[in-house]
Amino acid sequence: MEDVLEEVVSSDDLKKFERIYNEQLRSSVITQKAQFEYAWCLVRSKYSADIRKGIMLLEDLYCNHSDSEKRDCLYYLAIGNARIKEYTKALNYVRSFLQVEPGNQQVQHLETLIKKKMEKGFFYKLLLV
Amino acid sequence: MDQDVLTVLKLLMIGESNVGKSSILLRFTEDEFHENMQSTVGMDYRTKQVTIDGNTVKLAIWDTAGQERFRTLTPSYYRDGQGAILVYDVTDRVTFMKLETWLNELNTYCNKTDIIKMVVGNKIDLPNREVSTEEGLQFARRHQTLYIESSAKTADGIKCCFEELVQKIIQTPGLWDRHTLINSYGNGNMGGVRHRGQRGIQLADDTQLYNRPSNCYCSLI
Repeated sequence: MEDVLEEVVSSDDLKKFERIYNEQLRSSVITQKAQFEYAWCLVRSKYSADIRKGIMLLEDLYCNHSDSEKRDCLYYLAIGNARIKEYTKALNYVRSFLQVEPGNQQVQHLETLIKKKMEKGFFYKLLLV
Repeated sequence: MDQDVLTVLKLLMIGESNVGKSSILLRFTEDEFHENMQSTVGMDYRTKQVTIDGNTVKLAIWDTAGQERFRTLTPSYYRDGQGAILVYDVTDRVTFMKLETWLNELNTYCNKTDIIKMVVGNKIDLPNREVSTEEGLQFARRHQTLYIESSAKTADGIKCCFEELVQKIIQTPGLWDRHTLINSYGNGNMGGVRHRGQRGIQLADDTQLYNRPSNCYCSLI
């Protein structure tokens, strides 16, 4: 594994946090914690359908969360979108994060990674043409 | 360049929020220091190639968030860890006391029982120290870990911390395997068998590695 975008969640983790989320869904009281943890697993899944679901859950949280946790959502929204090659969206989330914390090393590093992947994808397309 | 890499080692940075885990890592990987580092979101990941005693290894370092709200998800990262860096802030006794909890968590969730642990007392550049070197050493002795004091700001002890840890991992047979890398090359079974043989020779050649005294100022096991 070369970088944080290539990390894949273990299926045990995904199942575990899915179960907790679904149990809460049935009891119709979903805690933000359960939703975030499930979404965090989903955006690191190898299946893009999972990632998209994770993004949806994070977008929902972002609208209802307090400030300290908004940054968590933004970070994993950037990762999720980059993983499904929605690089422009991913970079927008990175920029929103950096507007609040311009010096954040972790997010600056993520920005570099996303830009690299974006360039790689661009050159690959050129080659195909 | 990659052919020369002996193995890939998975290291973990663990400890309370704001003790300097990410700063230590940033100093080690980029040789940089930033005064106002913000807290890590979830998990960060960096790699660095180092050569110790003639062996080049690639370090895959997981920097975990110290904040409580990430606690449920971090233990899954402990899996297959070969080295753990447990950090506390020498100017904050609470972070030192919490090490016990972090150590327990590591022992519970890490599947490798012989994982090498390094306790790091960070921020020694600051004047208001609350935890003495003696206390840190005692803790390390009690839990049979390596120990070092560091300052990410002045770079004191940082390189040494990683070097000692890696040296100790390489000296622990069974904890690491050439195979990790061979698999990623996709060489198949034949390659694996061939390289396993080579590994045996390599270890025999490196006997001086075992007898080499530590050059680090306050490490022990």
